[in-house]
Amino acid sequence: MSDCHSDSYMDEDYEEFVYSEDESVVSISSDSSNHGQVRTRAAAAAAALATNGGAAALQSQSSVPAQSQTQYSADLGYDDEDDDFFGDDDNDFARAIGTGPIKKAWAVDFKVYDPDGLRATQNGTVDRMMPLLAISRDTTTLLLRCYLWREESLVEDFIADPERTLAKSGLSAHPIAPRIESGNEAFTCEICFTSGVDEQYLGLTCGHCFCTDCYATYATGKIREGESWRIRCPAPKCKALLGEESARLLLAEHKDVLGRYEDNLTRSFVNDLDSFTWCPAPNCQYAVECLVPRSAMMTVIPTVNCKCGKAFCFGCKVDDHMPAPCYLVDKWLRKCKDDSETAHWLKANTKECTKCKSTIEKNGGCNHMTCRECQYHFCWVCMGPWNEHGQQFYNCNRFNEDSSKNSRDSVSNSRALLERYLHYYTRYNNHEQSVKLARKLLATTEKNMEQMQREMTLSWIEVQFLSDAVDVLSVCRTTLKWSYVLAYYMMSDNQKIIFENNQSDLEMATEQLNELVENPIGQMSIEDIKRKIIDKSTYVKSRWETLLSDTSLGLQENRWQFED
Amino acid sequence: MSMVSKRILKEVDRLRQDPVPGIVAEPIEDNIRYFSVRMNGPNDSPYADGCFTLELYLPDEYPMLPPKVRFLTKMYHPNIDKLGRICLDILKDKWSPALQIRTVLLSIQALLSAPNPDDPLANDVAEQWKTDERKAIETAVKWTALYAERVVRNDVAKRE
Repeated sequence: MSDCHSDSYMDEDYEEFVYSEDESVVSISSDSSNHGQVRTRAAAAAAALATNGGAAALQSQSSVPAQSQTQYSADLGYDDEDDDFFGDDDNDFARAIGTGPIKKAWAVDFKVYDPDGLRATQNGTVDRMMPLLAISRDTTTLLLRCYLWREESLVEDFIADPERTLAKSGLSAHPIAPRIESGNEAFTCEICFTSGVDEQYLGLTCGHCFCTDCYATYATGKIREGESWRIRCPAPKCKALLGEESARLLLAEHKDVLGRYEDNLTRSFVNDLDSFTWCPAPNCQYAVECLVPRSAMMTVIPTVNCKCGKAFCFGCKVDDHMPAPCYLVDKWLRKCKDDSETAHWLKANTKECTKCKSTIEKNGGCNHMTCRECQYHFCWVCMGPWNEHGQQFYNCNRFNEDSSKNSRDSVSNSRALLERYLHYYTRYNNHEQSVKLARKLLATTEKNMEQMQREMTLSWIEVQFLSDAVDVLSVCRTTLKWSYVLAYYMMSDNQKIIFENNQSDLEMATEQLNELVENPIGQMSIEDIKRKIIDKSTYVKSRWETLLSDTSLGLQENRWQFED
Repeated sequence: MSMVSKRILKEVDRLRQDPVPGIVAEPIEDNIRYFSVRMNGPNDSPYADGCFTLELYLPDEYPMLPPKVRFLTKMYHPNIDKLGRICLDILKDKWSPALQIRTVLLSIQALLSAPNPDDPLANDVAEQWKTDERKAIETAVKWTALYAERVVRNDVAKRE
């Protein structure tokens, strides 16, 4: 997991004092156990009470000074300006995509956690809640898990009726620390029926005791099924939960199972909280926290960048799809899956009967067509009625303004819709292919860079502009690709024209940059090429930022109407 | 001897020494995991006059996994399907390793007196049960007379 800390201050084990705006002392304690989270020294538990739900956990990690915390919690939401929130996000790509230190209109706050960080977050929450509830650590943890980490509702319920709150979750207010006992002659394990003084056994707060072998086998089975904190006492219908301490005691000799148990705990933490999600990249073990609520995802596209390099949408887990919002992306992908191939074939090979709109494939014979559905006679060439052709026999060289216009007008609405879809799909698909080609381009670019280094005796750093340009290209092409999805569903009006102007500016600039990057070594001197590419990259980037800022603002202002 | 077969042996032993009233469960021949069960219908139910046969199999993971039980006698019951499979929570997600063959069979017997048409396995039967319970019970009695072995009870004998 060390790579996650590689470029930040978190690796070092030190503590430093930082003066915040209001001169209150803020300590940054940094070691692997708390994952470099910045905490106010006065991490008053009371402050946590003032916040809501999962957000509370987040607040404690921010370096907002105690005084300003109330204000922060007041306007807590996806548009919060909390610069420290991604304080450890040093990744270049994150900057490229606009989540760097200066927040862009389309950027959302998020934080990437590795498994250790997730564990530390859970422990931090437990530490904060323990003094408030004044119950054991094990019980606090279980309660928090039962409440899906909604601290506020837990505290509310607990203060109102501690006994009931605990009982509801199968817990007791004064549990005896779990321990393995033996030496009881009267003990019989209800699972294996063995009894005797030698039998070691364990029971939860409910008092149901089973021998440690059976208990461990039982727990192992549940853990293998993916369970963690929801494992209950094996007695029939007993609601008592197996706490972490008991589990560790039982499985002390089964390190592999215990490891799996810990993994399951972390997994369920991420799954139980709406504000967390796993990175969808294969084999990536990072989780991302983001506070954009589900309800805001009609207008906000919460694009986050995992430390593994993957840029994805927090809401729908699809790869970065700015500027199209999730519901349109979902609709589009579904549509493409349903129709694309069929649509291509239909377009290339069929026409529609002008009368009944049946789709017709002409697989031979003359141009005098008879529709099998409605028996309409028409000419395949001009799509006009056959009787107008008279004795001239499919000689429709004469362009009959009226009938041809009529038949063309009546080319059904559905075909017009198909045309429209194909227009956007072609462009969408084109950019998608180009993104893939950009990867190939990167390989050629690297070759070019080497060549430049050799022939022009340039240093490695001096040729970086080329690969930077390729990065910009990929990002812009992805945005362009999804911009066509947005445009497809957007109703035509003046606002759409403005959007399309932005889109075409970006597209044109992107194509020009692409051309420059592909053939950099030509007649021009290296300085010229370098200057040109850097200039163009900067311009493309600015066009890209314009498009994204404009669309993200437009979506929030409901500037456009979208088709259902 | 492994913990598992020790438990099974003990269960068999207890079933012999202290049988459940109205239920006989015995391992078949030399397979200690495979049981033949004969169960009397509960007194207050449409199945009262019948004796039903079931098969019960203890999987390798028993008692961590529940036994597999199924009726061999044709049943008219909303929670028992054509193949005799039984819809009962303790045989699925509510299984506890501290439950035993004895408790499972008692639960099945209880299911016969308390059919639950709201959580059906045999949809057509459940629908009949909900729309016309009297007729459904009549059919259950008819099926019991038709397919189950007849039980001669003391009270029944007296009445006749």
